[in-house]
Amino acid sequence: MPAAFQRRPSSAIRAARLLALITAFLAFLAPSALCEHGPAPVVTEKTAGHDAHAAHGKGLPNDAPVLFHIGPLPVNNSMIITWIVAIGIIVFAQRATRRIRSSREAANEVPSGAQNFWEFLVESLYNFLGEILGPKLVKKTFWFFATIFIFILFTNWFGLLPGVGTIGWSVPEDPGSPHIFNHVTRPLFRGGNADLNMTAAMALTFFGWWTWWAIRENSHGKKGIGGFFAGIVGVLKHLFAPKGKESGFMKYFLILVFAAVGLIEVVSILFRPVSLSFRLYGNVFAGENILESMMQLVPWLGWLIPVPFYFLELLVGLVQALVFTLLTSVFTLLICEHEEEHQEGVAAHH
Amino acid sequence: MDIPIAEILSNLHVGLAGLGSAIGVGLIGSKAAEATGRNPGAAGAVRNVAIIFAALAEGIIFFAIYLAK
Repeated sequence: MPAAFQRRPSSAIRAARLLALITAFLAFLAPSALCEHGPAPVVTEKTAGHDAHAAHGKGLPNDAPVLFHIGPLPVNNSMIITWIVAIGIIVFAQRATRRIRSSREAANEVPSGAQNFWEFLVESLYNFLGEILGPKLVKKTFWFFATIFIFILFTNWFGLLPGVGTIGWSVPEDPGSPHIFNHVTRPLFRGGNADLNMTAAMALTFFGWWTWWAIRENSHGKKGIGGFFAGIVGVLKHLFAPKGKESGFMKYFLILVFAAVGLIEVVSILFRPVSLSFRLYGNVFAGENILESMMQLVPWLGWLIPVPFYFLELLVGLVQALVFTLLTSVFTLLICEHEEEHQEGVAAHH
Repeated sequence: MDIPIAEILSNLHVGLAGLGSAIGVGLIGSKAAEATGRNPGAAGAVRNVAIIFAALAEGIIFFAIYLAK
C-alpha cells in the first residue's frame, strides 16, 4: 500500500469521525422516540401489498417520505440508510486497519481477515484509478473516488436487503377494509440513492472538488494567492484558448472556433452534476420499482419472479458505483491533464 | 384530462428516448465485445471506455423522464 495510507489520522479527522458517529447515534434514537407518538409500526410482507398497490396503481413515490425532524432539518428514510451504511463503513474500516495503525512492525505483516479484505479493496481501487488518472493525479484525488465508490456500492447493496421498504408506518386509508395496513406508506428504510437529494449532494460535492483540483492543477506549480489566480487563468485557457501552432488567417479563425467550442464545453460541464445525480437516482429508483412490480406481477409467484431481478440489481448496484467513479475521475482527468504531459503519458502506454 | 395530447406526447417522448438509448447501449456493447475479441489484451481499457459511453448513452433516458410532461 502507498505510504500515504499508513499515516495516523490527524486530530481534525478524528473529531470529524466522532461527530459523524454522534449524529448517527442520534439518528438511531430518534425513530424509537417517534414510535411512542406516531401510528404503531406495522410489519408487512412486500408480497402482501399487491392488492393495495393495484388499487392505487403506483409504486414507490418519487420523493423519500420524511419521517421526523431534527430541529428544522427534515429526516427521511433514505438518510437513515445512508447513515447506517456510513457508520458501517467507518466502523469496519477502523477495525480492519487497527493493526496497521498500531505499530510499524504490524504494518509489514501479511494481512488476514478484515484487514486483508480492506487492503484488497483499497489497493485494487488504487491500481484501477491509477490506470485512468495517472500516477501523479491519483495520489491527490484517490481519497474522493475510492470513498464515493465504496459508499455508493454498499448503499446500493444495502437497499436490496429484506426489510428495506417493507417495515414502517402505514396510514389506514379505508378504515372499513380488512387490508388497511397492507400498504406501507412510510417505510423506515428506503434505498439511500433512491433519493435525489443524496445523489445531487454527491454530484455537487464532486463539482466543488473538481473546480478546486482544476484550479490547482492548472496553476503550474505556483503557490498562494498568485497560484490561485494563475490557476483560474489556466482553467480558462484550458477551456477557451486555441491549441496547436497556426499562423496568419488560420490563427484568428481557430481562436473563434476554440472560443465557440469552449462555450459548448462550459454548458456540458454545467450539465454534468445534473446527469450524474439523475443517472444514479434513476437507476436505483427504477430498480426498486422493478422489484416491487415483479413481486406483484403474479400474486402467488411473488417469491420467484423477482429473483433474477435481484441479481440484476446486484449488478446494477456495482455498475452504477463504477460508472459514478469512472465518470467523475475521467472528468477530473480531462480538466487536469496538460497537453505535453498527455503526450508523454500516451507514449508511455505504448 | 384537459389536454390528453400532451400526455400522449410525453409518453411518446420518453419511449423514443428509451429506444434511442437502448440502441446506443446495444451498439456500444456489441462493439466492445468485438474489440475485446480482436484484442483480448486490451480488455480492461475497452471495458472502461464501454462503461463510460454506455453511461452517457443511458443518461439520455433520465433527462427524457425528468423533462417529460
